[in-house]
Amino acid sequence: MNCSAIRLWRLFAAALISLSCSTGVSASVSETADSTLLLTEVHVTATRRPLATAQTLAGADLRALSSTTIADALKYFAGVQIKDYGGLGGLKTINVRSLGSQHVGVYIDGIRLTNAQNGTVDLGKFSLSTLESVELYNANKLDRCQSPTEYASGATVYLQTRRPQTDSLSVLAAAGSFHTYRARATAEFNRRGWSGFIDAEYLNSKGDYPFRYKSEYEDTVGRRRNSDIEFFRTEAALFKNGFASHFYLYRSERGCPGGIVRRLSDKYTNIGREWDTDMFLQGSYTHRFNSSHQVKFNLKYTHEYLRYFTDYPENQNTARVDNHYWQNDAYASAAYVWNATKWLWLNAGYDFRASWLDADLKKFSPIRRHDQKAVLAMQFHYSGFRVAASVLYQHYRDYTSLNVGAADPLNRTTPSVTLGYTLNDLSLRAWYKCIFRVPTLNDLYYTQSGNRNLKPEYTRQWNIGAEYHLTPANWLLSAQADIYLNHIDNRIVCLPLRGTYTWSMMNYGKTFCRGLNSTLSAAVTMNRWRLSLLTSFTWQRDLNRTDPEDEDTYNKPICYAPTFSCGVTAIAEWRFLSLTVSNLYVSSRMWSYADPEDRLTPYNNVDIKLTGQLRHWMLSAEVNDLFDVQYEHIPRYPMPGRNVKLSLTYSF
Amino acid sequence: MKLKTFFLFCILCFTGMTLSGQERIILLNEGNWQADNGKITYFVNDAVVSNQWFRDVNKQKLGDTPNDIIQVNPNLIAISVNWSNIIQFIDTDGRAVAATEDVPNNRKLATDGTHVYVSSYGHECATVSGFKYFTKGFVAKIDISTFKVVDAVEVGYEPEGIAYYNGYLFVANTGGYAFQEDHEYETTVTVLDAATLRTVRTIDTGQINLYGKLSQSGRYLCINSPGDYYDVPAATIILDCDAAIAGLNDRDCFVKLDYAATYSCTAADGSFYAIGSRYSYYTGEYTFNYVSIDPRRVMESGGAEGVGDNIPGSVIADIQKMGMPYGIYVNPYTGYIYGTDAGSFAAAGALYQWTPDGKLLGKHKVYINPAHFLALPPDGMEFNGVEPVTDTHCPPSAIYNLQGIRVTHPLPGQLYISNGKKFIYNHQ
Repeated sequence: MNCSAIRLWRLFAAALISLSCSTGVSASVSETADSTLLLTEVHVTATRRPLATAQTLAGADLRALSSTTIADALKYFAGVQIKDYGGLGGLKTINVRSLGSQHVGVYIDGIRLTNAQNGTVDLGKFSLSTLESVELYNANKLDRCQSPTEYASGATVYLQTRRPQTDSLSVLAAAGSFHTYRARATAEFNRRGWSGFIDAEYLNSKGDYPFRYKSEYEDTVGRRRNSDIEFFRTEAALFKNGFASHFYLYRSERGCPGGIVRRLSDKYTNIGREWDTDMFLQGSYTHRFNSSHQVKFNLKYTHEYLRYFTDYPENQNTARVDNHYWQNDAYASAAYVWNATKWLWLNAGYDFRASWLDADLKKFSPIRRHDQKAVLAMQFHYSGFRVAASVLYQHYRDYTSLNVGAADPLNRTTPSVTLGYTLNDLSLRAWYKCIFRVPTLNDLYYTQSGNRNLKPEYTRQWNIGAEYHLTPANWLLSAQADIYLNHIDNRIVCLPLRGTYTWSMMNYGKTFCRGLNSTLSAAVTMNRWRLSLLTSFTWQRDLNRTDPEDEDTYNKPICYAPTFSCGVTAIAEWRFLSLTVSNLYVSSRMWSYADPEDRLTPYNNVDIKLTGQLRHWMLSAEVNDLFDVQYEHIPRYPMPGRNVKLSLTYSF
Repeated sequence: MKLKTFFLFCILCFTGMTLSGQERIILLNEGNWQADNGKITYFVNDAVVSNQWFRDVNKQKLGDTPNDIIQVNPNLIAISVNWSNIIQFIDTDGRAVAATEDVPNNRKLATDGTHVYVSSYGHECATVSGFKYFTKGFVAKIDISTFKVVDAVEVGYEPEGIAYYNGYLFVANTGGYAFQEDHEYETTVTVLDAATLRTVRTIDTGQINLYGKLSQSGRYLCINSPGDYYDVPAATIILDCDAAIAGLNDRDCFVKLDYAATYSCTAADGSFYAIGSRYSYYTGEYTFNYVSIDPRRVMESGGAEGVGDNIPGSVIADIQKMGMPYGIYVNPYTGYIYGTDAGSFAAAGALYQWTPDGKLLGKHKVYINPAHFLALPPDGMEFNGVEPVTDTHCPPSAIYNLQGIRVTHPLPGQLYISNGKKFIYNHQ
């Protein structure tokens, strides 16, 4: 792809993103629409001068990164911490500005990925191959026609599916370190206004990577065991104008290795194995009635099955577990936007979600949760000034025949406000958002730990920031910096109960965070060269404000939060070759307050990727963790060191 | 009690030694699960010598989740390191002597001085005569002359507490995996003949899940049951070993008390201190208790008498102020009282020290989840845990007199030094 094509592609993508929210319609909510109002022309400002704090990786930059899952792409964003248990099969979750992973909503084409059972999304299950862009919004996106769910998290990640432009077929075969093999086939079409794709991928990895722990008290060398994964993923999408649909099916079997602890031999190792089947089917339809009314409908059905099994006899340490969990989730939403005047639009939305959880645990019976949300949002702009405000109402009610009974219904209303001012290439913004996460079904009802009296975990965020864009003919420069402050109250944590041998979920803990996120990106095009640089920088100080009496923990940094981290990615493209070098630095993190030695060492990760394209063929070689740095996100869960991947793609 | 201390003090003055070795406490900090950070605190008199004693002495880590510690003979200590599947043997200076992983998922320890008996939730055991496999849990017998498992026998599901008394082993079965596995909670105590490992009898207490610390006071055992936290509330079983050996009916061997003994210990006067809470997931409510139990009176009265609040001084008041009480212990040699607070679980726990009459002496920072205690004999006192040890099972280290001259024929009752440690030779 040459650079003008890339630009066109990006423009198109940008247009799509704005289109998907600005093609007209009317709503199912009780608001009555005034059909005589005028059309406003906004989507250029909406995309070029985002009011929200946002970071985007799209198109060529996204493809140039050496990444297999979206976790690999997100780790380069400012303010992001990825928690990774290591290996391809290890759980990967995202934490933004230390709010906690359950405050981060992940959306595919504007519809949230949900898990009523535990509230987290394993990023390892989603591939970049079908995506056009990955975006991170602190607080939430501020588009015109959004469903209430899009307002309901402390930070939001948008995965935008690619809409094919032509008919094509591509086949990929790849091999990598630690016995990793991958194959993928993608068929795309675009005819008579309809477009779509089918994407199928298979991966098999033994994941037997070597690791080493060397300190004054040990020199442990070994290979990760029970870290294998095999998955099959199929996705299909169909689009036409305001209609978009997506089908996703993921089946996997994986080992769940434990922490590396002292053992006299390798005789006993395993913790367990896990089987997953995740499926969803979603559709959305956006319609613009005339210049001033627009509606959007979303529908989604999700099914998730999980089996967890502990191996015997290799695993003598735990109960012989063979548990099955089933979740079903149905979701419907309607949103309406009214472009009231040239300088004001109003957005109203309602959505309803029903979730069912069943499991063959003892003392457990099925749980049904009804989750309703309504939002009222407005955006006002005059000259360079902009104001966006929203009020979100949420109602949760659970039904169960469990002996402990269902939790009391929950009703809460939370606000958010954003102010912005744009002068030429410079934009300034300030925002506030208050939002909570509702206790998950595990938090409330899990056998021998659930606590149905939990309160929601609240976050309040304040942010001021500035963004600067320069776009002369052959190059572009953009920089942004945000300073933030956030409070988290009533953290939901699992703690042992006083004077018993059992644990329970509890509301315990307050966190106070201050931080700075900034990004700088630049790109230059000269003759046949295109050079681009993407950098992100995060400084943060997250303090534990739980117990003023406890001098060991009060006002001390919260565990696992680095003070600063920074990512640099440089991409050079020349004719048919592309070279990417990225470096990610993360400073040291405490993992307990008990001993100054209980700290994860800082690490520096260098990844290189070289891609060559010739006619229908593309060959790509990458080396991750070039200097074989040994590091961890969780103590005693080593990350793979240096590893190599080779892939060959044929497309026509 | 005070008399004992006074007596001890006199002995120490007599032998011209300082008080430097009066209180010697080894404390196991469990650490965090799967973080490989189990650590040993070594505490002498009124100060922590080290919070990573094993690491300091051996330049290696102890492992993940140490779960029990006992002294086997004057020179040998056994530690079960549960998640590491290791039984670690150390000497009284903390030096690693041997380790075995033949008893996976090991829980608690008991000894007769020549063998270590280990309860295990696992289902297989490597013995000298090959692997043994079990449907339920088992008890393994380790010979400390070879550190090999010489025999193992199946007991109930998930056996936890284990005690040695007069040639018999008493094993409390929990069935604790019942909330996940396809069996019910256990309600039994298995009595084994320690020599043959044959099951002598099984006492049904009628109370499920006999889990947690088991304390022993002569012929009496104090066994906790947390219940199931739903329908069955916590209870304490007081069991009379002599009655069990004599073949009395099950119901005459024990008394069930409606208290939790989540943390228990044997006091200097032979009573038990039991601290704990009865929690219910239905109501989310706690009922805390802090009681002293006189087992003889409890047995004689069928539970009508013998439970009181004779925990001395400010011990209860101080424990009530703790964030998360995690262990209680009375030094059997001196009567000093110890307690631990696990605090917030991500931060260091604290060790509390009280005089025998319950006056708080100090609070000391230890490590994460401080839970299991062992007192070493004070200077001039001999390990008094079990019957005398014979030479065939424990080849003695070189013995020196106080002048540093090696002695081949030590005299009983005289003070010598062995392994860098003073002791009174009492071998018969």
